[in-house]
Amino acid sequence: MADPLFPVLPVPHGPVRWGAMTCAQSPLAEIVSLGAFSGVGRDELVKRIHEAFGVILPDQPRAVASADGGCSFLWSGPSQWLAVAEEGAGLLSRLREVCGDVCALTSQSDSRSIMKLSGPGVREAMSRLVPIDLHPTVFGKDHVASTLAGHIPVIMWQTDDAPTYLFFVFRSFAASLFHDVSVALSGFSSSEMDICV
Amino acid sequence: MRLTCPSCGSRGLEEFTYRGDASVRRPAADGSEQAWVDYVYLRDNPCGRHQELWYHGAGCRSWLVVTRDTRTHEVFDVRNARDVILTERQTDAGEGEAS
Ligand SMILES: [Zn+2]
Repeated sequence: MADPLFPVLPVPHGPVRWGAMTCAQSPLAEIVSLGAFSGVGRDELVKRIHEAFGVILPDQPRAVASADGGCSFLWSGPSQWLAVAEEGAGLLSRLREVCGDVCALTSQSDSRSIMKLSGPGVREAMSRLVPIDLHPTVFGKDHVASTLAGHIPVIMWQTDDAPTYLFFVFRSFAASLFHDVSVALSGFSSSEMDICV
Repeated sequence: MRLTCPSCGSRGLEEFTYRGDASVRRPAADGSEQAWVDYVYLRDNPCGRHQELWYHGAGCRSWLVVTRDTRTHEVFDVRNARDVILTERQTDAGEGEAS
């Protein structure tokens, strides 16, 4: 007889702790990708976002917050950004009004989930997982990187100097990333994982 | 081997995919059969400096033109393929006007 399949959450619902380090799934967010159309698209997009959100879109891998703090823009490639806001912020419809004619807007809310890592030692632990230099003189607050965590494509954002990291990962890879993060973190903590998956 | 992506900075090889010679150019649609055979099938295998296409798939998803020594793996230059081709087109257009 075939084994029955039971639905299981890929990632534990609550935060998981190793020593003082925490891995938690961030609340659902609205994520929209912006890709400037060729020609005058890029300059016009930067101008419109500046007028509407009071912030200059970064031209290098950084994150910036809108003037009212309601959303953030992450560089994600040449002439491409991700806009991120709390769920229910109506980000896509607002962006459509502001700049829908000069860039491609695509909702990514259902494509990515966000994992938040924090606590002392998390920089050293994450250095095991991503192939980029996380030393504070190289990768600091509001630095962003598209890279691989283990073998999994992620967008990584350091949100403060503690440091705290957010990993934007394709939703179907969340369980694999969680596993890799668990291995990386448990190597830096003497305590067992407090919650078992 | 590491490549310094113009957008992302120094990254390891695992983030990139090699996509061949960056110096070949598509012949005109009415070009000779030999020109098309060369374009589709024939590649040099140079010993030394080589211009090649790399794709930064795990990073910014840019196509890059890397100038590399095939003997030593020394990397001389990494540029955005888009910038390379735009510069080339501008130069061609400039020469076209001059002649
Ligand atoms: Zn790159």
